[in-house]
Amino acid sequence: MIKLLNVSKTYQPDIKALNQVTLHIKPGEFVSIVGQSGTGKTTVIKALIGEERVSSGKVIIGGWDVTRIKPGDVPFLRRQIGVIFQDFKLLPKKNLEENIAFALQVCGQAPKKIKTIVPHVMKIVGLEDKMRRYPNEVSGGEQQRAAIARALVHRPKILLADEPTGNLDSLNTKDIIDLLLKINKFGTTVVLVTHNREVVNRLKRRVITLDRGCLISDQECGKYIL
Amino acid sequence: MFLSLIRVIKFSLQDIYRNIWLSLVTVTILILALFSVNMLLTVEVISRAAIDSVKEKIDINLYLKADSREEDILAVKSKVSNFEETREVRYISKEEAMEKFNEKHKGDPEILEALKELNDNPLTPTLVIRAKDIDQYGSLIAKINDIDSPAIESRNFNDHKTILKKIDAITAKVSEAGAIISLIFVLITALLVYNSIRVAIYIHRREIGIMRLVGASNSFIKMPYLVSSAIYTLAGLLAVIAVFFPFLGLLQPYLEAFFIDYNIDIISYFSNNFLKIFGLQFLALAAVNAIASLIAVSKYSKV
Repeated sequence: MIKLLNVSKTYQPDIKALNQVTLHIKPGEFVSIVGQSGTGKTTVIKALIGEERVSSGKVIIGGWDVTRIKPGDVPFLRRQIGVIFQDFKLLPKKNLEENIAFALQVCGQAPKKIKTIVPHVMKIVGLEDKMRRYPNEVSGGEQQRAAIARALVHRPKILLADEPTGNLDSLNTKDIIDLLLKINKFGTTVVLVTHNREVVNRLKRRVITLDRGCLISDQECGKYIL
Repeated sequence: MFLSLIRVIKFSLQDIYRNIWLSLVTVTILILALFSVNMLLTVEVISRAAIDSVKEKIDINLYLKADSREEDILAVKSKVSNFEETREVRYISKEEAMEKFNEKHKGDPEILEALKELNDNPLTPTLVIRAKDIDQYGSLIAKINDIDSPAIESRNFNDHKTILKKIDAITAKVSEAGAIISLIFVLITALLVYNSIRVAIYIHRREIGIMRLVGASNSFIKMPYLVSSAIYTLAGLLAVIAVFFPFLGLLQPYLEAFFIDYNIDIISYFSNNFLKIFGLQFLALAAVNAIASLIAVSKYSKV
């Protein structure tokens, strides 16, 4: 499902974000990638969605060799992977419903199908009564739910979550993590990047620890060790 | 394909409406730019009319002997009329010349009194000759100098040569200044448009990044900006047309008062060349907008 083989990423002049990282994530897993700020966690996500080219090694996700992907194929890759971020990345001038529908519109989905899928995913994330609200009219937790709904519209086999609770209070954090667990239960592989110790320890799932760009620990039922 | 086009137009209209202040600023800049271009064109038309009206007033006077026979005069007139450079030859008799002289100096009793004391009409009959083009006066004068006729009294055209040289110099300077000012205005317009679109896209850079992240293709991201810029251009042009014609209506009476005896109709000029003037402006501005949009989107959409 996801493979990183001897992946290194060096930023100019000589900053090593990733150093010979090798890992393998199987379908249906819930994996947390942890580490302190600047250890290369986000670089892993960026490499997986084709936002950053790695300096050496091989990155494979859902059958795509991202290290060899053509620029024109990147949009197609991104339509098959769900991604959520700490800053939600919602379009501010579109309401929540339009934000979610947009992910379907860009790949030419028929309006009839969009009208069926969007209310369905909004119900899954519990936003069915806030469809017409704009991002600045809802809480951070609700914005993150909308971002998750948008990530789910293509029924992705993989969901990448880059610090999804970084901007949320503990109550909203719990809700979002529960939602990710629910999505994982349906069979979606979830990769959670975080430095939230409590979240990782509560999950009791596989934990991959990065430190200064190197993979230092990979535990099946791990804890936050740093 | 059709569905994508409809969505692109919808997103573009939504974008214009939801960023209404930015849209208004962009259209205002376009209106100012287009108004400047059209003002420049108006100045060009007026200066051309001014030069033409001066050229209209230039003629050559060929003075004839007072006692010339009519057939000699007609022969000279015929010869001059047959030159390819000649547009018009008019014969003014002694009597007609006297009438004009009296009319011209009716407010100057001293001159009229002096004329009376002569007891005779001292004026000579004249042939008033006009060339087809101001550039042809040189060769026309040369040909007139070659005519051998007992009816001709005087053919001194040196004053005309000086005036013609001066007018030629003024025409060349006006054209040169017009070309330089036009070039400056075109550059300013292009810069204004390019920068306003750059600002618009810079403001949207986060949005463009998000579009890329959810899998929007290059064309799907760029097209709404191109459609928006075409709509801005059209809106700016329509607004300029709506403002410019009433402005010309206000200007016209002043032009008529200034160019007496010369028919200048600036409104007709813009009406008769409507498609050429405003069509070209739309195409040029739309092309500048499109290129600026493409450059700006490409710059800010590398995600």
